Amino acid sequence: MMVKTQKVIIVPCSGIGKPYGTVSREAAYDVTEDLRPGQTQLVPLALLVLGDEESRAIVAECPAVTIDGCKLACAAKMVQQSGGTIAQEFAVLDVYRRYKDLKPQGIAELNESGLKLARVLAEEVAVVVDGLTNEKPGGQNA
Amino acid sequence: MSDFLETTVDKFTFKVATDCFYNHEGVWAKEENGRIRIGLSDFVQQRSGDVAFAEVKPVGTVLATGEEVAVIETIKVNITYTSPVNGKIVEVNPAMNDAPEAINQDPYGAGWLAVMEVTDWDADCAKLLDPQAYFTIMKGQAEEEAKKL
Repeated sequence: MMVKTQKVIIVPCSGIGKPYGTVSREAAYDVTEDLRPGQTQLVPLALLVLGDEESRAIVAECPAVTIDGCKLACAAKMVQQSGGTIAQEFAVLDVYRRYKDLKPQGIAELNESGLKLARVLAEEVAVVVDGLTNEKPGGQNA
Repeated sequence: MSDFLETTVDKFTFKVATDCFYNHEGVWAKEENGRIRIGLSDFVQQRSGDVAFAEVKPVGTVLATGEEVAVIETIKVNITYTSPVNGKIVEVNPAMNDAPEAINQDPYGAGWLAVMEVTDWDADCAKLLDPQAYFTIMKGQAEEEAKKL
């Protein structure tokens, strides 16, 4: 039986100037460029804010995973406002609370702990992506 | 149920509970059946940002006014807060371990930090700010913060 594999949209926080926003974007890059490049697509939050039609269409068609840097949850809100369906919301702070030794610092460039936190978060996102795409890591259908 | 003094600065609304007394850092103290419950004001929690961790001194700790009672780590900063009263910690809010975001969600309620036994509340209280005095100071601080935006 063929299983339809749909891309999962990853929308990270666009907050500039705070380490938690940077962690969210770093995690999004890890997922879309390294861990699950074939199953995911990154949509920049800024394009949704600007009402970019192509981005809104993608978000409306595919399940989205949002990664927010603070409780304002701009990524989740913009996906909803763009007509998208959020399959899972992640918050950097929730993950950090479980990995207290990985304190993120730095803005343009994260410290080592921040990069590790981003990786941990990315791996959690990847598990969700696998569940949504019915695929095992590596791209083979289950 | 607390009543509040409220002010809106820029797009932010700050509340000051009228049944509490405050130190200059914005730590509130409220008398309840002879014991003092303490926590952080609404302005303090909004200015500090989302709380990641809250480490409150353990039960049994004896503190003088002005001694460290809690360290709060938020997404922006780590801040040390001091005790508004002289006394002994007899209870620490268990939510500080597993859900410290209660400080942000309900600073005058579920987000309390600790309960303290004090020997002379009247003397401690006399050195604290009443709600109106803290409200005036807090409003000034909020307006200063708004200028930086």
